[in-house]
Amino acid sequence: MGQGTPGGLNRQGLPGDRKHDGDKKDKKFEPAVPPSRVGRKQRKQKGPEAAARLPTVTPLTKCKLRLLKLERIKDYLLMEEEFVANQERLKPHEDKNEEDRSKVDDLRGSPMSVGNLEELIDENHAIVSSSVGPEYYVSILSFVDKDQLEPGCAILMHNKVLSVVGLLQDEVDPMVSVMKVEKAPLESYADIGGLDAQIQEIKEAVELPLTHPELYEDIGIKPPKGVILYGEPGTGKTLLAKAVANSTSATFLRVVGSELIQKYLGDGPKLVRELFRVADDLSPSIVFIDEIDAIGTKRYDAHSGGEREIQRTMLELLNQLDGFDSRGDVKVILATNRIESLDPALLRPGRIDRKIEFPLPDIKTRRRIFQIHTSRMTLADDVNLEEFVMTKDEFSGADIKAICTKLACFFGGAQDEDFKKAKEKFPCTRR
Amino acid sequence: MAADQNPSGSTAPEEASKQPSKELKKKKEEKKEEDLSDEDLALKQQLELYVERVQDADPGIQKFALESMRQEIRTATSSMTSVPKPLKFLRPHYGDLKAYFETMPESDLKKYLADILSVLALTMSAEGERESLKYRLLGSETDIGSWGHEYVRNLSGEISQEFANRQYEDLPIDALMELVQQIVDFHMKHNAEPEAVDLLMEVEDLDLLVEHVDSTNYKRACSYLTSSSSYLPSPDDILALDIAYTIYIKFDDLASALRIALLLDNIQYVKQIYTSTNDLLLKKQFSYICAQHGLALELDKEWIADEGEREILQEIANNAKLSEGYLTLARDIEVMEPKSPEDIYKAHLIDGRGSASSSLDSARQNLAATFVNAFVNAGFGQDKLMTVASESSNASSSLGWLFKNKEHGKASAAASLGMILLWDVDSGLSQVDKYLHSNDNHVVAGALLGVGIVNCGIRNDCDPALAVLCDFIEKDDTIIKIGAILGLGIAYAGTNKDELRVRLTSILGDSKSPLEVLVFSAVTLGLVHVGSCNEDIAQTIILAIMERSETELADPLTRLLPVALGLLYLGKQDSVEATAEVSKTFNEKIRKYCDVTLLSLAYAGTGNVLKVQKLLAYCAQHLDKGEVHQGPAVLGIALVAMAEELGLDMSIRSLEHLLQYGEQNIRRAVPLALGILCISNPKVNVMDTLSRLSHDTDSDVSMAAILSLGLIGAGTNNARIAGMLRNLSSYYYKEAGHLFCVRIAQGLVHLGKGLLTLSPYHSDRFLLSPTALAGIVTVLHACLDMKSIILGKYHYLLYILSLAMHPRMLMTVDESLKPLSVTVRVGQAVDVVGQAGRPKTITGFQTHSTPVLLAAGERAELATEKYIPLTPVLEGFVILRENPEYQEDH
Repeated sequence: MGQGTPGGLNRQGLPGDRKHDGDKKDKKFEPAVPPSRVGRKQRKQKGPEAAARLPTVTPLTKCKLRLLKLERIKDYLLMEEEFVANQERLKPHEDKNEEDRSKVDDLRGSPMSVGNLEELIDENHAIVSSSVGPEYYVSILSFVDKDQLEPGCAILMHNKVLSVVGLLQDEVDPMVSVMKVEKAPLESYADIGGLDAQIQEIKEAVELPLTHPELYEDIGIKPPKGVILYGEPGTGKTLLAKAVANSTSATFLRVVGSELIQKYLGDGPKLVRELFRVADDLSPSIVFIDEIDAIGTKRYDAHSGGEREIQRTMLELLNQLDGFDSRGDVKVILATNRIESLDPALLRPGRIDRKIEFPLPDIKTRRRIFQIHTSRMTLADDVNLEEFVMTKDEFSGADIKAICTKLACFFGGAQDEDFKKAKEKFPCTRR
Repeated sequence: MAADQNPSGSTAPEEASKQPSKELKKKKEEKKEEDLSDEDLALKQQLELYVERVQDADPGIQKFALESMRQEIRTATSSMTSVPKPLKFLRPHYGDLKAYFETMPESDLKKYLADILSVLALTMSAEGERESLKYRLLGSETDIGSWGHEYVRNLSGEISQEFANRQYEDLPIDALMELVQQIVDFHMKHNAEPEAVDLLMEVEDLDLLVEHVDSTNYKRACSYLTSSSSYLPSPDDILALDIAYTIYIKFDDLASALRIALLLDNIQYVKQIYTSTNDLLLKKQFSYICAQHGLALELDKEWIADEGEREILQEIANNAKLSEGYLTLARDIEVMEPKSPEDIYKAHLIDGRGSASSSLDSARQNLAATFVNAFVNAGFGQDKLMTVASESSNASSSLGWLFKNKEHGKASAAASLGMILLWDVDSGLSQVDKYLHSNDNHVVAGALLGVGIVNCGIRNDCDPALAVLCDFIEKDDTIIKIGAILGLGIAYAGTNKDELRVRLTSILGDSKSPLEVLVFSAVTLGLVHVGSCNEDIAQTIILAIMERSETELADPLTRLLPVALGLLYLGKQDSVEATAEVSKTFNEKIRKYCDVTLLSLAYAGTGNVLKVQKLLAYCAQHLDKGEVHQGPAVLGIALVAMAEELGLDMSIRSLEHLLQYGEQNIRRAVPLALGILCISNPKVNVMDTLSRLSHDTDSDVSMAAILSLGLIGAGTNNARIAGMLRNLSSYYYKEAGHLFCVRIAQGLVHLGKGLLTLSPYHSDRFLLSPTALAGIVTVLHACLDMKSIILGKYHYLLYILSLAMHPRMLMTVDESLKPLSVTVRVGQAVDVVGQAGRPKTITGFQTHSTPVLLAAGERAELATEKYIPLTPVLEGFVILRENPEYQEDH
């Protein structure tokens, strides 16, 4: 900070005044200011993000006071915008930044290599190791943000002298970044036949707390944290989750329970932790864990290390759901078809506040599902869907879809006969 | 606002399901009925029947149908995400019913139908048509609440639109107002005070609120009003506060009413409060509150008839008990032991070069030590430099420390004795007295200043300070004159003493007075008559400025002349305009500076966004002629924005931009602005920014940042800031100026050993003490030119900070005003305005027994029910009364 950019900071002071003192300072060498704290993580309150964060506005209820407060914030932001725009017009910063950047790039040299910071010796020196093996005692260049350095972090090194020229900040486990749903699924609520009650329930428990927290504040309760969707296979649990992902603007992270089972000890719990940390960073967000029975089965005396590890993964999940740290705007959706085998601790209120059952479709719903799936097909006039709707066979939503698609595969169009055939042909999942 | 609550959520799946391809759509609609469950179907048919019957010719059937329909709608329950079923089924018939309604003859039935249509319009009518309201007005005007909360909210929304519309077109609003009455009544009965207040604000008739509040909900309504007031545009804010005041008076909550009266700065209200109760104890509490606010109260016969009572109350209002209470606090916390500057520097914790150089005693080091000693031991009456020596019998050593300082340094040293004996008038005057007879003019000047500091904020009927100091004003020696004048300013700040006006204006008017004397007279006048808008004084100062020659105006000290002028209008907003107009005729050198200063001071503590914008615009200019008015503009942004939390946070952001884009003269003022925004409130992000700036290459920026570190930590003993300052002291060990600033900052951080605060806000950050703000502003303006004023020979200006010092304590006293120890919970304050239920007002509390210290943003509440406090805000002195209903539980 100190002498980093003498020209930049002390841009010729006003003519005549206080000159002598400033000049003297420029010439003599001053060691860089020791950073106040080296090597400790301070991700949260530092840097531009902290400055960019707007103050929270209370009350959350919609009322004039809130409106006035929000308007006040808006006024200040407008002023900031005006000021910055004015300044940029008067003297564009971009050129200068460009210049500085190219200078820094020159110093960094090219190509750079990636290494690991082993130990910080003092504010300007560190021991680093590169991927090939040996460790080196090297200097840290002044433009590296020393507050962010900590032992064990990945750094950029100069290709010849190996001095630290930058640090790699993306520490999110790539496993987790894969889980983020970048492209919203195409299924929307409209593609769900029936399940009205379930849709309403999940909206109340998951979407509303994120979009309208004030409704809960109004009544004076804490919004629910998560829901579990359970029911027979093929009843639309995952479909509903997709619809939620489709309709929400919140970050949507999806995992399958089995993904959380890892090869090495401790990796599973770590992944869970990482998952929730990312969810917290990107909040408001929704975490969807499908097939939770993969890790969430009742605990019992396990004999193999693998089982114990799975149980530990679940314990970490328990802690993340309702542990010591509060989860802010992170909502959890779990899905399973074997709720009876889940650990009771996982389902206690406070972790999972709502259990949403997905029954097999009744006649009305079945009709709806048929309509949805046949809506894009050309049906012959003699097709009588009612017949299928009214059958006593227990179809799940997936079965109905299968009947329709199978049919469409066999034949270009669909006649009533074909439907019947398809139904017989199709190995029904019902027991 | 209420209108957009429409439960549109659950209609989505329904609507969405209509989307699939067209050929199916027809089929679907046919089958739609079959989609419904049997129950729903029955309901639907039932309703359809009703709709048909309503259009029947027979009024009996009609009536029956309408009533049943009404019944259905009322009994329908719904979740918050869906439309009630009856409403959903009636949607298709809305048009029919509307058409039929038009054809109906005028009758009770028609009104009945209007009611139902009004409810149906809740979900049906298009945005902006306000049909719900239209039919409501045509309807039977029965109990409005029977249709449910959502309906009422929707109606309020439509009323506010309609009101604006009718006002624009100049239509009568009587019918609307009747409805408003009903709605407000409904809201107030159902714990929805914010909505009631909102509606009344929309229809611009807050007066109605007074009739509708009752003893259970007036507190919530008033707290909503008062917190809205800081965001409302003028004059609505004053109106809201006035209403809150009326309500508090109505419910006999006089202490709360007094807070509002003080905020409005309305002495008539204060008088009304005093006269409207016979409870002497309560009046004592009022006096404590006024004393803390720095209001110079003159109680006379009209206020309090009884002579004995009046004397007691006047004594409390004069702050005479402050010293006693403060020392009780100090003894309780066990910090009476005096501290030496070395205890504060803690040089042994610094490794390396810093500690080695400290043995080198220079005059400036001693001066710094004098200040540190004064700040740290402020008000304790004992220290290790000034008083220890005087107690020992050895006469030669008694003046030891004093004469380790040189020239004007001696003045500060002598004055520091006043700071150590702060508020303790009796023993203070006797101890300072010996220096008054010294041969050294500097010592005498310092002693005079000390006399003023001892009396700071304390008023006394015999006016000892005036008696002592007045003689010296006439002396020829400049420094003595200055000492006496500044002493008077500190002692009588905010009192509006007319005697001083007469004396000092004559000095100001005297063209032969030296510039320094002139400036200090003006500052004193500004402090004494702070916020008075006194035209005479303003005229005199203006004349004094106009008469100065160009060279005199170039003197760094002249920057305090506009400040003095501005202090007269501190927080008085528009009243400044006439003077501001005159100031445009000043010499070019000072014109802009004066203009900006007046603007910023007049709107200090108002949170007026427009003024912030104006000041920012000043900062956005790029100057090349070496003008200096941008500094005060930056300070002005802080002064205006400090009024409420949001503005404070947002202006910290803006200041960050100023740092990025601004030129040196702006950058120099930014740390000071941060200092005033977070005074005695060490926020971590501000601390980080200042720490960064304290290593800036521009020495003025770094010095200002160092001093501001002291300001934000003032009186907190904050270990992190103390650590930073220690590091800075070793970093700047070679630079005397920086080191001086570091020392002053260290002294400030340990102000009164952590028992004092400089924050001008008190009473739950609700009231702004004008004298305290005046003190801070004056010092900060002096700091804008650190090198020639604070580091030059006017360092004693720092003593003006004593105006802002007050103990950050909660002292509970019993009915005979003796300290009473009770348990209290102290925790972080939570903003509970407008929240449902009875949320906790503090979080993360700890239980202590009084007296306790309150940090910035903390709030206290009694942990025992044995006593009832006489004021809603537990701060400063609080009188406790025994709770007659208290029962000891065993």
